[in-house]
Amino acid sequence: MIRTATPTINNRPLRCADFPTLAQALDYAAQGVTGYNFYDGRGRLRAALPYAELRQRARTTAKRLHGLGLKRGERVALIAETCPEFMEFFYACQYGGFVPVPLPITINLGSRGSYIERLRRLLHSCCATAAMAPAEFLSFLQEAADGLELRFIGSPADLYALDEPAVELEPSGPDEIAYLQYTSGSTRFPRGVVITQQAVMANLAGIVGSGLAVRSGDRCVSWLPFYHDMGLVGFVLGPLASQLSVDYLGTRDFAMRPRQWLALISNNRGTIAFAPPFGYDICARRVHRAEIDRYDLSSWRVAGVGAETIHAETLERFADFMAPAGFNRHAFLPCYGLAESSLAVTFAALDQGMSVDHVDRRDLEDHMTATAATNGHGERVRAFVNCGQPLPGHEVVVRSADYQALPHRHVGIVSVRGPSLMSGYFQDAASTRDALGPDGWLDTGDLGYLTEAGLFITGRCKDLIIVNGRNIWPQDMERLAEEQPEVRVGDVTAFVTSHPQGGEVVVMLVQCRLTENERRTDLISRLQRMTYSEFGIKCRIELVPPKTLPRTSSGKLSRSEARRRFIQRVGWNQHSEIIAEAPRAAASS
Amino acid sequence: MAEYQQILDRLYTHLRPMAPQGTTLDEDTDLISEFGLDSVNVMDLLLEVEEDFDISVPLNLLADIRTPKDLACTIIRLLEAE
Repeated sequence: MIRTATPTINNRPLRCADFPTLAQALDYAAQGVTGYNFYDGRGRLRAALPYAELRQRARTTAKRLHGLGLKRGERVALIAETCPEFMEFFYACQYGGFVPVPLPITINLGSRGSYIERLRRLLHSCCATAAMAPAEFLSFLQEAADGLELRFIGSPADLYALDEPAVELEPSGPDEIAYLQYTSGSTRFPRGVVITQQAVMANLAGIVGSGLAVRSGDRCVSWLPFYHDMGLVGFVLGPLASQLSVDYLGTRDFAMRPRQWLALISNNRGTIAFAPPFGYDICARRVHRAEIDRYDLSSWRVAGVGAETIHAETLERFADFMAPAGFNRHAFLPCYGLAESSLAVTFAALDQGMSVDHVDRRDLEDHMTATAATNGHGERVRAFVNCGQPLPGHEVVVRSADYQALPHRHVGIVSVRGPSLMSGYFQDAASTRDALGPDGWLDTGDLGYLTEAGLFITGRCKDLIIVNGRNIWPQDMERLAEEQPEVRVGDVTAFVTSHPQGGEVVVMLVQCRLTENERRTDLISRLQRMTYSEFGIKCRIELVPPKTLPRTSSGKLSRSEARRRFIQRVGWNQHSEIIAEAPRAAASS
Repeated sequence: MAEYQQILDRLYTHLRPMAPQGTTLDEDTDLISEFGLDSVNVMDLLLEVEEDFDISVPLNLLADIRTPKDLACTIIRLLEAE
């Protein structure tokens, strides 16, 4: 294995994803000297995989997959560890005409059973006929596939041991499926987004050509998991389609030692690195101030932000903290996207930093309008980050519930149209019909508004809490609770549900480790006071044990699933004996 | 076994500060259900363990660790494999 990282500067002219397929993108990249590099948690280079070598290995692996008797278009499930073998198998599918399906790694203490169950649902959902896991994850995959009929379940070494038949490879064509992406949907009911070669190439061309305006001298650094759209499309496919070198850090290694991400950018003169807001947050909280001087982040020209609601303060804190290392706050590039549109929909303008729109909170809640606030801050104002303009060839409109296009500064459902959209959810016609209209518009399920300046995302549509005609964003209530010292970010979910006796009840579930009754009561009553004074609503607040709130397959809290389970638990779906379980919390406030 | 006890004692020094009030800590304490470690705590704990013992704990091994005893045995195995 090569122990020198691939260079930043290529010896071939840069092409910005103007290829019909991923295989053709790799054919071109393989003529140069750039490639993928893998680092361990202590910053040591573990492997370098130049695109030239990747192409060779992928083609050999493709032939072996043919040797298993796989048919064209069949799914090959891949445990998406951050390692060279994932790349090799993913592109083997491109050359062999198979459909790769990256599977998540969500392992925590004692989680064997739940992880296997989750893998099993995914293997079943995509009807995989072959599945690969790196050796250390193979036992999970084998257990998950027990009883399912797969032609191959093994490690890369298991496949290398097989013969390489002399087949003529016919790479996946422009109309064929490039990959399935399981990011949306809940853990229990996974939905596989179907992305064709045409769709992903259109998105990549927009991302690298327009959104990032990739140039010679760019180098990417990423810790984003390969089973997530931002990790896969943004930092596996994008760099390859524009022949850039990438330096990877494992996702868990980043979570444990976030400074390694900064060290890689600093040491290798990285120019492009993305993270969800929590990635910036974790750096600002866990990197020691004294270390900052060691880094030089002045090369970092695009610090992308996406994948979850962006709070301006989080990014400001990061920028202030990293300023002594030469971090340029104008490098922040907020963007909006979703796996159903391959990855990206809108990008803010380059080199401008984040721009924030302050709107009147009352108008927002009462009339769903985003009226520009006259005085900048305070309780009466909400701040939203500008996610920018659609990629070329893509359109964004904001619509009302009855599908009428809304004027600027009216909040509605964000809908997207363009060449990057999915073909649908894999073998799930009902979900596909819900999301994709016959007119080609994708209902994103997100709420937002447009201005001359761009798109502003205000929340998830189906989660919006509407009480007494007022619209309250659950993430705002959650944020309030998260600001309490006893509560962690990501441990709160809020939703509204109908009470069987009539009326709506707002429920907030808080994961919490407090055991003393006195402290629990204190937290509950404080939260009730605050939600009442902040939003003017009475709220049923419950403390639940850690790790009990349901999450989507991308790790976000699933409010709809939490609501469903709550209704079941308290028996509000059965129209009886509810009064005994009267919402004590709400009654006491 | 002397080694096991030493490692366990070192683990306790990392675990005690994370203990919620009123919980007991012994080799069979369930770190998730009784101790209530969340994913951030787990990252902190692993970081301390890795630095203290100068090992790297592969992600896949976590799936079968529930108690301080499991963790101590894993550490012994990793130290022996070095």
